[in-house]
Order: sequence, then structure tokens, then C-alpha cells
Amino acid sequence: MGLVCRAVEEAGIPTVCVSTGRDITALVRPPRSYFINAPMGNNFGGAGDVATQRRILRAVLALAVEAREPGCIVDDVLQWPVPFAFNPALPTPEAIARQLRK
Amino acid sequence: MQPIRYVDALIAKYGAMGFPAYDWSRYDDAPFTPLRKPLAQCTISMLTSGGVSRCAMPPFDPEARNDLRLDTVEADAPSDDFQIHDSYYDHSDADHDLNCIFPIDRLREMAGDGEIGAVAPRLWSGFMGRIYKRQAVLQEKAPALARELKRDRVDLFVAIPA
Repeated sequence: MGLVCRAVEEAGIPTVCVSTGRDITALVRPPRSYFINAPMGNNFGGAGDVATQRRILRAVLALAVEAREPGCIVDDVLQWPVPFAFNPALPTPEAIARQLRK
Repeated sequence: MQPIRYVDALIAKYGAMGFPAYDWSRYDDAPFTPLRKPLAQCTISMLTSGGVSRCAMPPFDPEARNDLRLDTVEADAPSDDFQIHDSYYDHSDADHDLNCIFPIDRLREMAGDGEIGAVAPRLWSGFMGRIYKRQAVLQEKAPALARELKRDRVDLFVAIPA
């Protein structure tokens, strides 16, 4: 997605990337990034937490107004209430075989 | 807690399964286009890469690689009419409330309140599949998306990776 942001920005449209992977974002350097230290899939907080969703979206849009430095990363204040890890499901053997055929 | 180190974790996990080590794109600088209007006058579009599709559309392949599929999402799509298929992350919260990952209700509320100018006629879902074909993204698919955004007179684009 960082690459998509870079290409869209190069085409003349400002972008903000709402990241939950700070190290990946720091490598790819989208034009503007807003980092949420939350599990992947909770970029705007938890289910039903309308106030947090709205607060983060406002901050994301404000970054588009305020950013001056290309490649900037702004860190949100959110503290996720429980520890979390990266644990994607393992592909099934059928899925691996399908991918290898491509 | 400290941010998770995804780069190290991905190299270890996928390497153990026999996939080639992902050579992340690395840039020291970035392109930059200033926002030229106040938010209250901006038309805004969003993109999720979280394997999100309308219920009437085919599901995304939850274990896709190099899936460059890109769906359009109507600006008035009900947030409870989506399905999520992606083995890469825990989408149990987003299954209950799409706004966790794709805040279409919140964006529409901001348009209704006049905080932003408008929600673009088309929002977007795609680029979900562990994409190794970076040149196809940079030289074809993302520029094609940018052309569609310009057709919709989008002033600001929000990308939400998963």
C-alpha cells in the first residue's frame, strides 16, 4: 500500500497511509503516514468504538493539511489495552500448491 | 508496548514455509503533493487492502499472492453489507464493525457535518494479496487507480493497509 500511495502522490493527489506496521512504513516511506500501535485490522480502533474511530480519522485527515516533510510518520497516542502479536494463519497445503502453480 | 517488528517476523515465518525472503522496497525519500484546499472543500476517497468485498461480490482469496484485484465500493454502501476474507490478520473486530479498518460511516458523518467536502463517489478495496509484482503496482495498477481518482475529482486519498 505504501507503493500505491507513492504512485498516487506522484500522479498529483495527496495521500495518507494509515499504518499498523511501523517498521514496514519506515522502509517504504509513503508520502505521509499515520501510525497506530494496534493489531493489524484495528487501524481505527475497536469494534463499536465510534469515538476512537472518529478521532483517528480526524487526525489522519489533519495530517494531510499539516504535513510539510515528505515521508513523515506521525505516531498516534492509542495504547492498545492488551498485548498483541503477529500471527497470520498458515496456508493450507492446497493453497501453497495453488500458489506454486501460478 | 513497542511496535511489532513485522519485517523480521515475516522473513522468519514465510522463510520457514519455503517462500522466498521478501525484499522490501526501501526508499530514503518520498514524492509529495501539497493539499491545496481546506478539508471542508475536499472530496476524499479511501482504499482498504484488507480482503474486504461487498456481500454480492465474490470473496477475496484469503491466501492470495500477487492478487491485484481492485473493487469499487459505492460511497453509500451500507457498512454491514461486507465480507472479509484474509488469512493474514485477525479481522474479528472488523467483521463486526467495518469501521475498524474502513471507516466509511465515520467519513460519511464528517461529510454530513461539513468537516469534509464530500465522500468520493467511489471508494476502493484491493491490492490485498502479498504482492511480489511491485513493478505492476508502481507502473500499471496504481497509476490506473490515480486516473480513476482524478475522474472522481478526488482531492485526498486515504490508504489503509492490512
